Amino acid sequence: MHVQDLFQAAYSGILYGSVYGLMAIGLTLIWGSLRMLNLAHGSLYLSGAYLAFALVNLKVVHLPLLVSFGLAVVGAGVVGFLIQFLMVDRILGKPGWDTASLIVTVGASIMLQSAALLIFGAQRKAMPVLLEGRFRIGAMLIDYHRLMIIGLGVVSLIALSLFLRRTRYGLAIQAVSQHMDAARLMGIPVRSTFWIVMFLSAALAGLAGVLLSSVFELSPTAGYNPMARALVVTIFGGLGSVKGTIWAAFIIGLLESFLQVYAGAGWALPGLFGFMIVMLIIRPNGLFGLGEMQRL
Amino acid sequence: MLLKVTDLKAGYGGSEVLHSISLFVNEGEAVVILGPNGHGKSTLLRAISGLIQPTGGSVEMDGRVISDLLPHDIVAAGVIHIPQGDLPFPDLTVMENLLMGAYRTEAWRERKQKLEQVFQLFPTLAERRNQLARSLSGGERRMLALGRGLMGKARILMIDEPSLGLAPFLIDDVYATIREINQKQGLAVLLADENADHIAGLANRVYLLEAGALVREGSAQELLKDEALLAAYLG
Repeated sequence: MHVQDLFQAAYSGILYGSVYGLMAIGLTLIWGSLRMLNLAHGSLYLSGAYLAFALVNLKVVHLPLLVSFGLAVVGAGVVGFLIQFLMVDRILGKPGWDTASLIVTVGASIMLQSAALLIFGAQRKAMPVLLEGRFRIGAMLIDYHRLMIIGLGVVSLIALSLFLRRTRYGLAIQAVSQHMDAARLMGIPVRSTFWIVMFLSAALAGLAGVLLSSVFELSPTAGYNPMARALVVTIFGGLGSVKGTIWAAFIIGLLESFLQVYAGAGWALPGLFGFMIVMLIIRPNGLFGLGEMQRL
Repeated sequence: MLLKVTDLKAGYGGSEVLHSISLFVNEGEAVVILGPNGHGKSTLLRAISGLIQPTGGSVEMDGRVISDLLPHDIVAAGVIHIPQGDLPFPDLTVMENLLMGAYRTEAWRERKQKLEQVFQLFPTLAERRNQLARSLSGGERRMLALGRGLMGKARILMIDEPSLGLAPFLIDDVYATIREINQKQGLAVLLADENADHIAGLANRVYLLEAGALVREGSAQELLKDEALLAAYLG
């Protein structure tokens, strides 16, 4: 057991944590406000990554890297908005919501993944890094790029928290999540609040896709692993709780990283799910879960 | 005439609860709908504010039909519904709850002044402004609900059962506050209440609601004097 393994595990864990946080926050916001489990979230990660890839490799015009990434994030947000506007809006408030919303999001996920496969093919793509180079601390090599991912992830999470707690629209999202009828009586337009939630959540998932796909592979199935992680994080943190999700993201990120370093990569996913099951037995609502389940 | 309800019908899941309700409220008036529990008072207010969609009839505000609008547009028309049970946002602070009452753009611009007014009316809310709403007592929640309703640009306040669940010594205060809002600020008020004990100095006109239909209407003076009538309808 080397100290450097420990630092390596911790460093990777924080990296995972900040990216999982981006994905899981979206899931938790969607659950909190819409009472919908967005199974299309992995494909929103994919949308961000592939949009970035397409923009980066554009022959017609050469866009700076940051611009491509930025546009990809917004593009993922638009995809999320479209899923809400075109598909979910049709079944809002209708009976059978619980099942219907699952089917719709799975359907959207299949469509997006198939589109990726058709347009880009099954082969893994390479994504460029934002910053080249690395530096040394002791025996450890630290990429600037990974450091930037952590930085961007943390900054985004902070920005989102501020948005939710300090702006009119952020408070409205919380209000809708806590009591939808009361929110209506305040004059809050629920349908368009959902659009904002979906756009934001999808953009965050897209950002996760843009950031992580330069570290791992990009292929049409690249959305599954982040989706599985995000799900574990969301449930562990407590469905609907933003604070819980952020804590959970880093705990799960570190847990996975330590499992990988000390037990081997194959143990990561089973270990995580096993941990989640144990946690749910001890605390069924997750770390900070919303106590009461209020139905739409 | 400020608010005009004509032949309004509404219900839940196919069964009709309100049968052709017609009533009106003038500018500055305080109108009370008296009726036993379960006879449709809440349903009536919910049908006017759009939480449930009427199945027949219409609601007009300032001569403009609002009964086909979504709840947030009905709020924009100046109809503010303070619901039974208060419905606070439990994990938002008192201040954040109040701010949500001013969500609409016109109200949002004036939120600072409105907060001042609400805090003057309810000093307890000022003291507890950073407390989570879930930690408030029953009386404080009632104040929060009223304060939140006053944050919007209300032309009419519809209040459902203002004394529900309150300790007796608080009830007088609530009605006194409503009276002040109506008489000093000139805000029209439509109250749904299950007993007539506290509305004497407040109501201008009273409607009696029984089994989803309005069975009597008149000035507060005449109806409240008729003890036999009240006993028969309210038990």
